[in-house]
Amino acid sequence: MELYVALKVTWALLLGILLTGLAIMVGMDMGVGTLLRFVGRSDGERRTALAIIGPHWDGNQVWFILGGGAIFAAFPTLYATSFSTFYIVMILLLFSMIMRPVAFEYRSKVDASRWREAWDWAFLISGALPMIIYGAAFGNVLQGVGFHFGWDGQYYQNESFIWYLANPFALMCGILSLSLAVYQGGAMLMIRGEGVIAERARRYAICGGAVAALLFVAGGIWVQFIKGFMFAQPVDPGMAATPLNGPLVLMRTGAWMNNFHIHPLLWLLPALGLAGMIMGSFSLIARKPVLGWWLGAVAWIGTIFTAGGAMFPFLMPSSTTPSESLTVWNASGSEYNLGWMLVFAVAFVPAILSYTTWAFRVMRGKVRTETVIADEHSY
Amino acid sequence: MINPTVVDLSRLQFALTALYHFLFVPLTLGMTFILASMETVYVITGKQIYKDMTQFWGKLFGINFAIGVATGLTMEFEFGTNWSMYSHFVGDVFGTPLAIEGLMAFFMESTFVGLMFFGWDRLSRGAHLAVTFLVALGSNLSALWILIANGFMQDPVGASFDPKTMRMQFRSFGALVFSPDAQAKFVHTTLAGFVTGAMFVMGVSAYYLLRKQHREFAARSFRMAALFGIISSLAVVTLGDALGRLDFLVQPTKLAAMEGIWHTSKPPYAPWKIFAIPDDKTQKDLFNVSIPYVLTPLVAHDFTSPIPGVDALEHSARAKVIKGIKAVVALKAYGTTRNPAALAAFRANESDMGYGFLAQRYAPDQDLSKITVQNLPSIVQKAARDTIPNVFVEFWSFRLMVLLGFVFVVVFAFCAYYSLRNELEKHPLLLKAATWAIPLPVLACEFGWITAENGRQPWTVFGWLPTFQSASSHDVGYMVFSLVGFAFLYSLFIAAELYLMFKFARLGPVQHLTQTPHAPAFVQPALGQPGFTDKSWADNSWQ
Amino acid sequence: MTNIIRILALAAVLALALMLAVVAGDFGPWYFAWLVGTTMIVLISVAGAVLFETQHAAGDTPYEHSAPTET
Repeated sequence: MELYVALKVTWALLLGILLTGLAIMVGMDMGVGTLLRFVGRSDGERRTALAIIGPHWDGNQVWFILGGGAIFAAFPTLYATSFSTFYIVMILLLFSMIMRPVAFEYRSKVDASRWREAWDWAFLISGALPMIIYGAAFGNVLQGVGFHFGWDGQYYQNESFIWYLANPFALMCGILSLSLAVYQGGAMLMIRGEGVIAERARRYAICGGAVAALLFVAGGIWVQFIKGFMFAQPVDPGMAATPLNGPLVLMRTGAWMNNFHIHPLLWLLPALGLAGMIMGSFSLIARKPVLGWWLGAVAWIGTIFTAGGAMFPFLMPSSTTPSESLTVWNASGSEYNLGWMLVFAVAFVPAILSYTTWAFRVMRGKVRTETVIADEHSY
Repeated sequence: MINPTVVDLSRLQFALTALYHFLFVPLTLGMTFILASMETVYVITGKQIYKDMTQFWGKLFGINFAIGVATGLTMEFEFGTNWSMYSHFVGDVFGTPLAIEGLMAFFMESTFVGLMFFGWDRLSRGAHLAVTFLVALGSNLSALWILIANGFMQDPVGASFDPKTMRMQFRSFGALVFSPDAQAKFVHTTLAGFVTGAMFVMGVSAYYLLRKQHREFAARSFRMAALFGIISSLAVVTLGDALGRLDFLVQPTKLAAMEGIWHTSKPPYAPWKIFAIPDDKTQKDLFNVSIPYVLTPLVAHDFTSPIPGVDALEHSARAKVIKGIKAVVALKAYGTTRNPAALAAFRANESDMGYGFLAQRYAPDQDLSKITVQNLPSIVQKAARDTIPNVFVEFWSFRLMVLLGFVFVVVFAFCAYYSLRNELEKHPLLLKAATWAIPLPVLACEFGWITAENGRQPWTVFGWLPTFQSASSHDVGYMVFSLVGFAFLYSLFIAAELYLMFKFARLGPVQHLTQTPHAPAFVQPALGQPGFTDKSWADNSWQ
Repeated sequence: MTNIIRILALAAVLALALMLAVVAGDFGPWYFAWLVGTTMIVLISVAGAVLFETQHAAGDTPYEHSAPTET
């Protein structure tokens, strides 16, 4: 049983790392997509912005795909329940996400302004919408979601989708997520872009960082007033992975602060997030985009782990049937499965990080508009 | 209560999105290895034309690849959005290959594909060739893992049902990965992809040869594709035979439907039907032409094994349904009360649990405990009938796939022969046939998908979980929303894809050469001192 | 010294390939067939192109004899 608990906690941590990697790498590309129409006034400038992330967007996007796959395997019931209860927004997310690969490959293959203009709108939608949905998902989960389970493990939805779409706290989290993406994308445009592109990107990125910092603080205050979830009694973390017949769960205003009270060291996480946003914005003001990019990554780490730290061990609490809330303890895969997955993660994650780094190294350097325009192969 | 309309719409959506995704996947699987072959020749001989070939076919590959990537996103998430019960039930074992696919294959394929397109001027020849091979390997490895996952749906090995967690729990990684079905299907599918890629390159080259355009370029591409294709097409037929035998061993209902066998006959009489119009309602052929004594050796590879027909399969399913009902009733009791007696009752009939689920839709209020002695026979009858997939669809999709497979062998054989003799341009009809054959392998792949997945019905996990039970409990409105959106977006995509494909294929490689003086899109850092000319790079710590 | 390292590295690659072949051969005959078969398909296709160049150099192809090296 002990090993099982250790594996569950490890996979909860890995889930956090994965969601952070997704936010940093995909968020960066989404930020560039969102800013495309604003930093690039001419076609050449827009192509330059696309060429900056051109060789990497596909690799970065795998963080998103892996996110789906890893949740499926490590937390199958969470995968099944969350994707289905959030059906309308998940489908909207998919619709916007699937436009992006096509937009990259097709946009510059036809030299007609209406064609390219249409794909540029696709970039805006497929950049901004997924990031809003990504943040809003966290916001919704923090407030609890209305669902319960049948005897066979099938979920049943208890709330209308309208609530997920038009939920003020979730929308705020969505805008926070979009701001950080704009920040991260802007920093990348500054690293590899020149002249007007870098200058415009700088302004948007600084705003992004500032807005994110404000919303992060506002969110922190807001969370004090929403109902968090907590176990009524200590539970056995090695419990069988089923949400049925679960222990009693209470809903209490401010319960999400419990972990912070018990482990004051956790306060480092929001501090890290906030510091990343503020210092990041200052480093962009000082025109140090590479430092700014890394501070943006720190901001994401701080933000996502703050949310995770507050909720742990809850993953997706149920507001209508709290005792059937999904937690790290009851929604995970089996011990055997988590063990094998860990073997693969340990073997492949270092390899992935090293060849991704190599790919960025190979393609490093400034991207110039003249060369992009001259190259028919370029995005 | 499970709403049958929602299940049907979910199935429709999954089938459409999967079939659509699969329009683009085979070409990616094959083209990557063909590109790698062409670049290998470039590195060995140093002839520029092979680099041009790699780049030109690479461009067409990219147009296809983009939609493959986009529609693949849908597939990764659709299990969760539309098949929640399925995801919960098998996520512990089915999700694992999907996660490993991301770790091992997608990252490799996607990271290196960027370098493949944009790294020509930044990598040495050897390094770029290695990158191209890694893209090929990555895309084929992703096929490996998804087919291992699919293998589990067809022949669930390596996991067992756990009543405590109400799901299949992963038991043996080795059994899952080395499942015979996954193995044969992986080889069959990737080879079908090789055939698709080879036919595409060969067909477009044939078009140029017919029009006497880009002849040097086209003749070389044709030669490579034809040789690539002839071996692949022979191998794909071999693997098809292996899969047929596997179906005979583990999915007899699929085999019976594929071959339209209504009745079990005394071996080795079993007739092989060349042509038939099977009627699922009456379980008879409206018309057929068949050769006796062929099917037994063809499928079983001996003369003594009986090949069970639909009648025998339905008969044996009835007993399983009765036991299955008992199992599910006991399971439900155990799930709500944790009563050990109920667990023992479940264990007694555990292996037929799936057949109990199958009966659920016909029980009053979909509640098996409401079955009485009076309504039991009709419920058993209906559930047993359900175990047979739609024979008409299965029979014809299988036959068309096989027919096309043999057509490819013939086309490639002639093409390879005349290409090796350098007499292609004396045979314009052959060139025309090769051009018109471009879409046929894609069609064959789609028929193959239908054969494999329609033949799996009524199960999502063969023998364990019915499709009817697997879907999410959505409203019809949700399904309409997503279906309309997918139909709209996917139609736009395919229109744009075909437009660009035709545009760039017609434009051809020469235009493409004169228009692009191979200008580097990016400013090169000074050789030998990486990044030092570039200040923004010097102070960062990517590495 | 470098030769020894090179030989050791090659020996390691060889050992890895052998291990892969033995495992694949034992448990996954079709996987083994794929590894060997795909390599063969690629090599035959490459050999076809090399043969083309030989035929071309010998004047056995209907295409004008100009080395297509534009850049």
